[in-house]
Amino acid sequence: MTDDYDGPILEIESLSISFFTRLREIPAVMDFSVKVMPGEAVGLVGESGCGKSTVALGVMQDLGKNGRVVGGSIKFKGRDLNTMSQEELRQIRGSEIAMIYQEPMASLNPAMKIGRQLMEVPMIHRGSSEKEAYDRALQVVTDVKLPDPKRILDAYPHQLSGGQQQRIVIAMALMAEPSLLILDEPTTALDVTVEAAVVELVKELGKKYGTSMLFISHNLGLVLETCDRLCVMYSGEAVETGSIKDVFDEMQHPYTQALFRSIPLPGADKNARPLRAIPGNFPLPHERPPGCNFGPRCDYFEAGRCDATDIRMAEVPGNDRHRTRCLRFQEIDWQAPMEAGDTTLKSEPGRVVLKMDNLKKYYEVAANALFGKRGDTKVVKANETLSFEARESETLAIVGESGCGKSTFAKVLMGLETATDGQILLDNRNIESTPIEARDTQTIADVQMVFQNPFDTLNPSMTVGRQIIRALEVFGIGTNDAERRERMLQLLDLVKLPRAFADRMPRQLSGGQKQRVGIARAFAGNARIVVADEPVSALDVSVQAAVTDLLMEIQREQKTTLLFISHDLSIVRYLSDRVMVMYLGHVVELGTTDQVFAPPYHPYTEALLSAVPIADTRVTKKHIVLEGDIPSAMNPPSGCPFQTRCRWKSQVPGGLCEKDVPPVRQLGDGHQVKCHLSDEQLASMEPVIQIAAE
Amino acid sequence: MEPLNWFEIITRVFIQFIPVWVALVVVFTLSMVYKRRLGLYGKLFDSTIGMIGFALVMFWVFTGIFGAMDLIITHDPLSQVSGMKNKAPGTPLAGAEEGYYPYYLFGGDNLARDVFSRMVKGAWVVVQIAPMATVFAFMVGITLGLPAGYYGGKLDTFLSFLANLILAFPVILLFYLLVTPEIVDTGIPNYMAMVLFIFPIIFVGVLLNSRYRTQPKVRTPMLIVVLGIMGWLYLSLISQPGTALKLLPDAVDLFNLQGGILVVFVSVVFVNSPTVFRIVRGLTMDIKTRDYVAAAQTRGERPWYIMLWEILPNARGPLIVDFCLRIGYTTILLGTLGFFGLGLPPESPDWGTTINDGRRLLQVYLHPAIVPAVALLSMVLGLNLLADGLREESLRD
Repeated sequence: MTDDYDGPILEIESLSISFFTRLREIPAVMDFSVKVMPGEAVGLVGESGCGKSTVALGVMQDLGKNGRVVGGSIKFKGRDLNTMSQEELRQIRGSEIAMIYQEPMASLNPAMKIGRQLMEVPMIHRGSSEKEAYDRALQVVTDVKLPDPKRILDAYPHQLSGGQQQRIVIAMALMAEPSLLILDEPTTALDVTVEAAVVELVKELGKKYGTSMLFISHNLGLVLETCDRLCVMYSGEAVETGSIKDVFDEMQHPYTQALFRSIPLPGADKNARPLRAIPGNFPLPHERPPGCNFGPRCDYFEAGRCDATDIRMAEVPGNDRHRTRCLRFQEIDWQAPMEAGDTTLKSEPGRVVLKMDNLKKYYEVAANALFGKRGDTKVVKANETLSFEARESETLAIVGESGCGKSTFAKVLMGLETATDGQILLDNRNIESTPIEARDTQTIADVQMVFQNPFDTLNPSMTVGRQIIRALEVFGIGTNDAERRERMLQLLDLVKLPRAFADRMPRQLSGGQKQRVGIARAFAGNARIVVADEPVSALDVSVQAAVTDLLMEIQREQKTTLLFISHDLSIVRYLSDRVMVMYLGHVVELGTTDQVFAPPYHPYTEALLSAVPIADTRVTKKHIVLEGDIPSAMNPPSGCPFQTRCRWKSQVPGGLCEKDVPPVRQLGDGHQVKCHLSDEQLASMEPVIQIAAE
Repeated sequence: MEPLNWFEIITRVFIQFIPVWVALVVVFTLSMVYKRRLGLYGKLFDSTIGMIGFALVMFWVFTGIFGAMDLIITHDPLSQVSGMKNKAPGTPLAGAEEGYYPYYLFGGDNLARDVFSRMVKGAWVVVQIAPMATVFAFMVGITLGLPAGYYGGKLDTFLSFLANLILAFPVILLFYLLVTPEIVDTGIPNYMAMVLFIFPIIFVGVLLNSRYRTQPKVRTPMLIVVLGIMGWLYLSLISQPGTALKLLPDAVDLFNLQGGILVVFVSVVFVNSPTVFRIVRGLTMDIKTRDYVAAAQTRGERPWYIMLWEILPNARGPLIVDFCLRIGYTTILLGTLGFFGLGLPPESPDWGTTINDGRRLLQVYLHPAIVPAVALLSMVLGLNLLADGLREESLRD
């Protein structure tokens, strides 16, 4: 092994990769160059379809039978990977270059114990003995901070939680002490607090082992926290590369700028400073415009120049290895403030339309699947004493990680499940025990839902128009087909989709467009309460802004009550009036957005705020990493649900946290917290997020 | 006249099949030209395997159709010509009269009938019965599989148990039982037909009702007309004079099936539907977790609308592939039934019966059995290749 090599670990030079389909050649990556120095972490950022994962697969030389490197070189420690034989590549993969994928469960062999899977790596690549391999595995598992490493080594993958699995995948990648680690969206499938812990771990291990990293992500905040350098990709090309500081603070490409303007940074406000979505759509690989790929969506586009020739990367003078693919970067005034969008007046919340009072939802789960009737039944408390009010034209955000009971709450509200106890009042009518079949059309039409996954929300075998018309039929709107069709076209106008989309099939639409259709369908019966279950979390950042703004606009016009379920606190802070934080079925904090985002916090809110990556170099965050995973709702901890991970627990005397569920405490102005901490302790909390003065 | 040599036989057979060749060329040319607009069917023409399969299947379909129009056959499949018993392929007709085709191209069978014409006529029997029986099996499987997968729980346990019970029953024994005179007299096959054939009516009725539930003005007349027609067909189908079920007077009884065909239908549907049931049940369990199903639930759709309009269309890919494979199985099953002399009448030219007829003298005269055997083989092979092609192409994009 060339351990004395001290040049760049990975050097990609004008790489082009194409996929060949039966119709045409589709260029996925064009003229891409990047250099990773030893011990350096380089971030690769871009929206889906920009080619960032293709680059990673190119480095691994694993492009499938359709893909091929059509130009350029990929040098690993000075040796060109493109010319290596399969035999040589096998030697390098896993031992010198390791890759971590998005889905941890899919990366582990479910039929093999963790220990054996880890031990395979040194046994294959180094010819280590079983004993050596086991010791190494034990050491690495300890390094990734898993509790009780011996037990973990003896477990099967399905016995671990998602966060633990991802730690094992990282451990496996580190087994052979690779020189280069490629991480392809390693935390996208994880919850925010778990993600924060994994990111922390990756950073730490990178330092400890001196591994170079190629970190692929769509999340600018995450890249800011983990990487030294960054490369922004758009439509198959790198558009800007440079150090984190240069790119974040002195961006030199219009796309990077537009990207930053479309994410909700602290300070953005839905009324005074709305987000700016990037106009237009991402070009399909075979429909890229001539010249600059970003040209048609760029504010600084100059006809005859930007679309004349292919554009090369140009060095930005004065900065260290900072390059941009823009002809006009020296003419543009990058410091010019963003043109203020249309500011709107804050709408005043009206009367109370929805009231939850001590809502409880328990599930009985048979302990023994086969003979459940006789065995003990366990009670899963999915929602515990949920009380809140929602007013007309108000946005109430429901924040929490997986398993916190927010989906169950939505199901009960929609009538797919009935409540165990407590009541739901819609316009002072009780609906908590009326299943959806028994609800009248008006109630059903009033409470509608927007779903999370845009690729799943529309029936793939029905045209867009037909699906909206069906909702109109069910809600009894319009007397004949012509009227309903007219109304459907109006709904398409409402969500700003061209009317021609009515006859399209869902697969012809992009993710954002599908989500708009989903919104149109939810508003078909003039819904007054819309439950939006993470409606933008699966969309790209630039599309997120557009869909969020659309929701806000419809809400303003129709005076809808929006229940916005999300785990993304940035977007919650941007658009909601009030915030409800949930943990394991309990509401731990409820208040206006300002109250929740400023101290005093509930300890869980504090950790959540600290975990969310923010793509702004001016922001300093207090660092709070939660230990462990979210407990299972099947087997919740005694006393306070959060006590197993709480960093304030030691300050409550008498082990109260482990004994009693804390009472709901009113902190004034409708701000409530479920915590045992004393008023003085709550008052002593410091803000988690601070924006440095400019 | 001299007997024909092999080259002449092949040339003459080729000439006899000219209408089939023309039809195949037309279908393939049109399909190739417009393949980009034809969805999954069009994609089939990108796969060599799929095209070969499709060509084989369509060859027999066209043979069946033109054969039924008396275009391809050289002789009447039932008429016997003296002196032609067990004669080798290419034997000239002894004392052929004017207007008769002068040769038995594939020889004569042990009753001195023309093997070639019987093979062609047999194709029509298969092409008629196999897809129809498979359609019925799918109707039953879908109508039971959707609720089993969608509701789960006790209903699922019960229906799955029933399906397992039927699958565990020895098929051949079942066939023998169904044609045993004592059993036929009790009317069991007719009652089974009554139960199995009602599923298409339930299926179509629920399908239309769930779709037009919100518009009673459209729904009610539509349901009356459609269910009326289907009900009449159903009654005509199950009502057989001289059996336990004589529901309609002869004046309104549209048609009577030959006794054997009804049994063939019943047994094929009975044996195939549990497998279809399982496939549909599995697909439903997968698809019911999708968001668009939740969206339909939250707008208050009734369960049957969700099953038939939200879930079923999205399960069509695997079902189409299975449909092709299943026609193949059914064809073999028909052959097996015919081979045991069950179901179809003994003089029927279908391939199973002809193979059975030829079997007795197989060691002396090969051709009466080998011709229908090869026909059966090539058609099932074609269906399997077609299914493979469809599966492959539906997964690609």
